Amino acid sequence: MTVKQENTRVAFRDTLMELAAGDERIVLVCADSALVVKAGAFQEKYPDRFIDVGIAEQNAVCVAAGLASCGLIPFFATYSGFITMRACEQIRTFVAYPGLNVKFIGANGGMAAGEREGVTHQFFEDIGIVRSIPGISVVVPADASQVKGAVKAAAGESGPCYIRIGSGRDPVVNEGGQVPFNFGKVRVLKDDGNDVAIFVMGFVTNRALEAADILKKEGINAVVVDVHTLKPLDVEAIAAILQKTRAAVTVEDHNIIGGLGSAIAEASTEVMPVHLARIGLCDVYPESGLPDPLLDKYHIGVVDIVNAAKKVIVKKTV
Amino acid sequence: MKDITKMETDIKKLENLARLVRRDIVTMIHLAGDGHPGPSLSVADIVTALYFDIMNIDPSRSQWGDRDRLILSKGHACPAVYAALSRKGYFSSEVFPTLRHLDSILQGHPDVNKTPGIDATAGSLGNGISIGLGMALAARIQGKAYWTYVVTGDGELNEGVIWEALMAASHHKIGNLIVLVDNNEYQSGGSIRTISGILPLRPKVESFGWHCQEVDGHNIAEILHAVRAAQAASDKPSIIICHTVKGKGVPYMEGNNAWHKRAPTREEYEEAMMVLGGAA
Repeated sequence: MTVKQENTRVAFRDTLMELAAGDERIVLVCADSALVVKAGAFQEKYPDRFIDVGIAEQNAVCVAAGLASCGLIPFFATYSGFITMRACEQIRTFVAYPGLNVKFIGANGGMAAGEREGVTHQFFEDIGIVRSIPGISVVVPADASQVKGAVKAAAGESGPCYIRIGSGRDPVVNEGGQVPFNFGKVRVLKDDGNDVAIFVMGFVTNRALEAADILKKEGINAVVVDVHTLKPLDVEAIAAILQKTRAAVTVEDHNIIGGLGSAIAEASTEVMPVHLARIGLCDVYPESGLPDPLLDKYHIGVVDIVNAAKKVIVKKTV
Repeated sequence: MKDITKMETDIKKLENLARLVRRDIVTMIHLAGDGHPGPSLSVADIVTALYFDIMNIDPSRSQWGDRDRLILSKGHACPAVYAALSRKGYFSSEVFPTLRHLDSILQGHPDVNKTPGIDATAGSLGNGISIGLGMALAARIQGKAYWTYVVTGDGELNEGVIWEALMAASHHKIGNLIVLVDNNEYQSGGSIRTISGILPLRPKVESFGWHCQEVDGHNIAEILHAVRAAQAASDKPSIIICHTVKGKGVPYMEGNNAWHKRAPTREEYEEAMMVLGGAA
């Protein structure tokens, strides 16, 4: 099946330019990542508000901290792992702790986004890392249209924020243009019924929707929930859904430790314990390959989601 | 002639302030029972010159947007800055004994969330120049005239992010950023000569495109002169290597790295006060 794609990196760039036109405080910081985030147009239009520090992510984060402490709104954009792993301490101590208004844009978020580059460029720990740092919000948009909403929402919220974007070949799940982005709130994408809840984040949302269609054909009614804001997590809405379904599957292009699966498991355990299965990278390292075969090989396939749903449904009946 | 006399008087006043800052440092660490006296004393003259002569700041408006900024990248020496801030009027010296204690405004390392007058959280070593670069770039973008000063140690120059910042600052021709290195020749584990390979420092920094000077870091007149020269080098970031003595001013601490982090006992404290101008 051919999936329509739209570039999340371009979506970020276009939105940033739109914001920059109306707000002189917006600055773009890159670490030789201008090509990665298609920043040429921004650089051309706002040369004074474009800062490239070279391949030096720790420096970039601290530079962004310095800019923000003087009232600017820097967006630092490069590969997600180089932000969240190489410069993790700088994010934590110099941005998140002082609560500075820095926005991090992490490209190649997920194994599939790094695809042919191999493990060095496949980042499936970013959400776990950032989620464990106090004082920074974490957003994983589902597609390009949601990136636009997320970037605008982040600019409108004072304080640090991490937003994942993808490879540029990112499946479209919100057909028909811009969808409302409600920061901090889950969004029900499909509501067939209460047999099982499928919580999903990021650029595998198309797979969750496809799985729900297959389940429906087999007489199993799922509710598919887009959890685009991992922090703050919409615990109230998640609990209400879990109360109805009593069974859940989480789907993410991230290690099953630390990401959406962990977030839902933590919330569920505290407020509404249910049978839960986590679909994601199973604490192993992936490899080079095209995105779809890669996701299938590492058990983030549509069939994996379908089977996991059936298993948790069986569990709730015994 | 009159000007020279006035300058001499000003230097004397600053030297006296540096002595008082040293008394505060030793007092604070003694009363708190914890802290880093050696690196605080080595940086005392640099900090005094900056806060009491060079910097354009207003204690009644600690968030004033046009103020000069100072980042103590070697954050473990914060008792020196706390002493200066208190004497500038940012807070009372009554809080000194609470240093490093629960609920204190004086954290173990500089903390922008808790201490009036602190411009950046710092002390996980190596990051101050990068933050200062961001502040200096912000001045350029916003058309502001403030200066950003960063005080580093010499040991912390081991950190890779230091060199990332040096490279980027000269590339971007950042003339409003001045770094002062408290070159006391020791780091936590011993001499910089045995641990780190940072020497020779000056050719490294110059090869990164920085305007570079070396001064006696305990000679306030030399520090002031070097900062003025750094300000005049407007197309380049500037670094001033300040040669200092760890523990300077308290003879039994001078050059003795055991005082990197240790609180003086009552007797040691009293001895220090005597050499710093008289009994406490």
